[in-house]
Amino acid sequence: MQDVVLALLAKEPSHGYELRARLQHALGPLGDALNAGQVYVTLGRLEKAGLVAAQRVGQTDRPDRKVYELTAAGQDRVTAWLAEVGWAKPVSAKFHLKLVAVAAAGLADPVAIVDAQRRELLRQLGDLQGAALAEPDGSSAALLLEGAVLRLQADLRWLEACARHWEREERA
Amino acid sequence: MTANAVLRAAGLRKEYGRGAALVRAVDGVDLDVAAGEAVAIVGASGCGKSTLLHLLGGLERASGGELSMAGERFDTMSETRLARLRRNAIGFVFQGFHLVDELTAAENVELPALLAGVSPRAARRRAADLLERVGLADRSRHLPSALSGGQRQRVAVARALVNRPLVVLADEPTGNLDSTATTDVLRLFDGLRRNGHTLVIVTHDSRIAATSDRLITMRDGAFVDETRLGGGARRLGSLAGLGG
Amino acid sequence: MGRLVLILRLATRDLRRRRVEALLLLVALAATTTTLTMGLAVRGVTDRPWERTRAATAGPDAVVTSTSVPASITASASALTGLARSPGVTAMSGPYTMRYYDDLRVRDLRVATTVQGRDAVPSAVDRPRVTDGAWVRDGAVVVERAFADALKVRPGDTVTIAGRRLSVGGIAVTTARAPYPNSAPGLIWASEADAARLAPAAENFRRVVYLRLADPGSAPAFAARGAAGGSTPGVQVVPWQEVRAGGTAELTLVRTALFTGAWALALLAVASVAVLVGGRMADQTRRVGLLKAVGATPRLVAVVLLAEHVMLALAAAAVGLGVGRLVAPSLTRPGDGLLGVGNPPSLTLATAVVVVLAAVGVAGVATVFPAVRGARTSTLRALAGTTRAPRHRSRLTALSARLPVPLLLGVRLAARRPRRTALAAVSLTITVAMVVAALAMWHDVGVNDARINGSVDFVQGAGNPVTERLEQVTVAMMLALLALAAVNAILIAWATAVDTLRPTALARALGASPRQVASGLSAAQLLPALAAGIAGIPAGSLVYRFAQMIAGGQGSSGYSPPLPWLLAVVAGTLAGVAVLTGVPVRAAARRPVAEVLRSD
Repeated sequence: MQDVVLALLAKEPSHGYELRARLQHALGPLGDALNAGQVYVTLGRLEKAGLVAAQRVGQTDRPDRKVYELTAAGQDRVTAWLAEVGWAKPVSAKFHLKLVAVAAAGLADPVAIVDAQRRELLRQLGDLQGAALAEPDGSSAALLLEGAVLRLQADLRWLEACARHWEREERA
Repeated sequence: MTANAVLRAAGLRKEYGRGAALVRAVDGVDLDVAAGEAVAIVGASGCGKSTLLHLLGGLERASGGELSMAGERFDTMSETRLARLRRNAIGFVFQGFHLVDELTAAENVELPALLAGVSPRAARRRAADLLERVGLADRSRHLPSALSGGQRQRVAVARALVNRPLVVLADEPTGNLDSTATTDVLRLFDGLRRNGHTLVIVTHDSRIAATSDRLITMRDGAFVDETRLGGGARRLGSLAGLGG
Repeated sequence: MGRLVLILRLATRDLRRRRVEALLLLVALAATTTTLTMGLAVRGVTDRPWERTRAATAGPDAVVTSTSVPASITASASALTGLARSPGVTAMSGPYTMRYYDDLRVRDLRVATTVQGRDAVPSAVDRPRVTDGAWVRDGAVVVERAFADALKVRPGDTVTIAGRRLSVGGIAVTTARAPYPNSAPGLIWASEADAARLAPAAENFRRVVYLRLADPGSAPAFAARGAAGGSTPGVQVVPWQEVRAGGTAELTLVRTALFTGAWALALLAVASVAVLVGGRMADQTRRVGLLKAVGATPRLVAVVLLAEHVMLALAAAAVGLGVGRLVAPSLTRPGDGLLGVGNPPSLTLATAVVVVLAAVGVAGVATVFPAVRGARTSTLRALAGTTRAPRHRSRLTALSARLPVPLLLGVRLAARRPRRTALAAVSLTITVAMVVAALAMWHDVGVNDARINGSVDFVQGAGNPVTERLEQVTVAMMLALLALAAVNAILIAWATAVDTLRPTALARALGASPRQVASGLSAAQLLPALAAGIAGIPAGSLVYRFAQMIAGGQGSSGYSPPLPWLLAVVAGTLAGVAVLTGVPVRAAARRPVAEVLRSD
């Protein structure tokens, strides 16, 4: 989140509420998850770390507002972030070990666990799919949703493979 | 057992071959599809889901069990009565589109209506309405060869609806499509579901499966799992990997 | 070399794998080659017995006959002898008297006859060759051989002419007159004394003079001059060529029938081969990807097909030459009125070459066009496995929306493969045309026979060797044609059923009943059949008219059989096609839908 906010400030200094509006537009229906405080908390932390500088701007009819801009250190951080190639770790290893453990200890039926997981993922997929279909053509949020959908699909396919594997194990 | 089941199967079986080579493609399936319900049947290829769909559509004869459509048994019907049932109560959407190459989009949509004895004028009107609904009003005079995969499948969906069937049966409707075309077809099926059409979709594509109300998993010819979908307003943000 | 071996190996394997198809093709081609061989054999001998007999009997180059008006008798007699002094005439016999009697009696038969008075000594021109007994003397007559055969009389028998009993002293052949029944009534030679003793023939008394010309080839010109010259009124001059045409009419008719039939059979064979090749190429294009993977090109497929069909054509040529050789003698046997040719007609090298070339040509032409078309099909499209995408939608298809379901399906299925539909129509049109032509001929024969049967000029109950042989030949050819047409109808229906599997299965999935699909497929066959039935009638009339023109005869009934026969032909065509195509059509309509739709 910090990196995103820094990157958004790279173009020009902005108010906190402008930043939030831009984020919400990019996220589409997922933006609802973004509460108003989250942006300000992030900005506060960045200011404390010396990555952004805040300037108070007086307003005649309301309280003063802060306009945030990047510091030199902030610029460096943005550049470093752009060059970064790290990728969120998939959860498959953890789930796999869970199944192995369950099977070894005879705690439960691994296939039942897979099925339960699959139901959960399918429900999630249904929700994401519904949100994706509601997006107009060409929206950037739809692109984000498609990514999530494709990942879930991949996970579901892997779960199918898991189910086949553990069924075979049980039979053997 | 719901009282208002449109399509019902009980103890449905289909076997091929005999002796050691006996294959139980469908092995004791019970299914009730309520009016307005969208049911997806998923499973790996070869699990028997296509055969099940063919049995449900009366395209193949079951080895055992009962089938009924709107309360009427049809597993024992003659070929001719089955044909009448197919044309009046069932709409098919196939994986390979199965459009008639020589006929325009509109003529493909008209065909089942003409087969059902609808007057040419009425058939043309229905076809025009449906093509409008699937967003292909401007393509009605094109031959299938001039349409993209997604457009062809949309024509096929329009064709499935032309006789106002009780139930639409779809076999891998996104099977031959790329991602964009798949989205088109997903949106179309989602629309059908919302408009209260009764749908049975067999697929291994979890995306289209996830747009249904009920999701049935099939393995080795039998139902092994069932999930009701929708209803839960989830925090989409976390689903998309947006940790706080 | 290796390539040739490969092609031959693939071709023979394929032939062995598709035996039924190969056999059907062989039958189709062999029917053509056999007919062609017989036609060529008959053509080779048509004139030979006549020439031989003419040489043996010192046949006249021109026959001069006085007309039968009694008042002109004297004038004609002098006019006849006058003609002998005409330029170009080198020898003359006669004048001989010709008396017509309508009561020759033998056993319980009564028939008309022409009695010619002759000298006991041989004449310079026209010396009838006595094949049995002896030449005329007082009290004993000689009967023309074909007439004698019809009357069943032999030397030693007695005949009664106009109440006077005369003994049959001999049997002879001549080329001064076409043998009975080509010319009727039949001819009897008697001594001038005997002839004069017969009751005077009040009418139909004529005199005849036989002339030898310096240039036999100029006989028609001589005849034209003599008849139109005006110096000799009441005289008719007939050149020997005309007599020959009358005497060999049956062979000419048989030959014409055989050649017409050979053409029709060849066209039907082309259609059979083309249907099979078209189906095979469509089949092969689907496997073209696989073939390419092992290094074979669609062109190779075409070449292999060509090799197969050339092999079949060679086999068919051999069969045709063999059968033709066996059958030809019975066709070429000269009539009783002529002397036989020493040895039966043998196959000449020329005949063999023509037959082989024709067979290979038929197979080649019918293979090359569809094969080339198939080979040109883009590999990409072939790999995609889709049938060729239609460039435009036929108007017929749009119109068919207004038709009842079976017709709607039929029209659309027929429109899917316009070339094959046209082929079906052409094949049936040829068949119908030939049937109509044959019917027209049989009708003419029937009319003729009816006339003969009531006529005193002909021996009742003796049959008509001229038309009998023609009928045998045409019946045999009709059977061959119908068999080939049946093969075509089945092949076309089968090919249609095979490549409309998907659309028909689809139609059933969309709610067409098996019966609707079956009747649709039948309609797809019956629509061209109906067109063929209608188009075949005028075509048949034309064929018959054309054949008559070649054979030099003339139809007596406007070249067309009676209307009820024609209606029966149309009805029969439709019924035949419906029955023949019923089996593949019903089989196709009953195939499980799911199986078809899944297999792609």
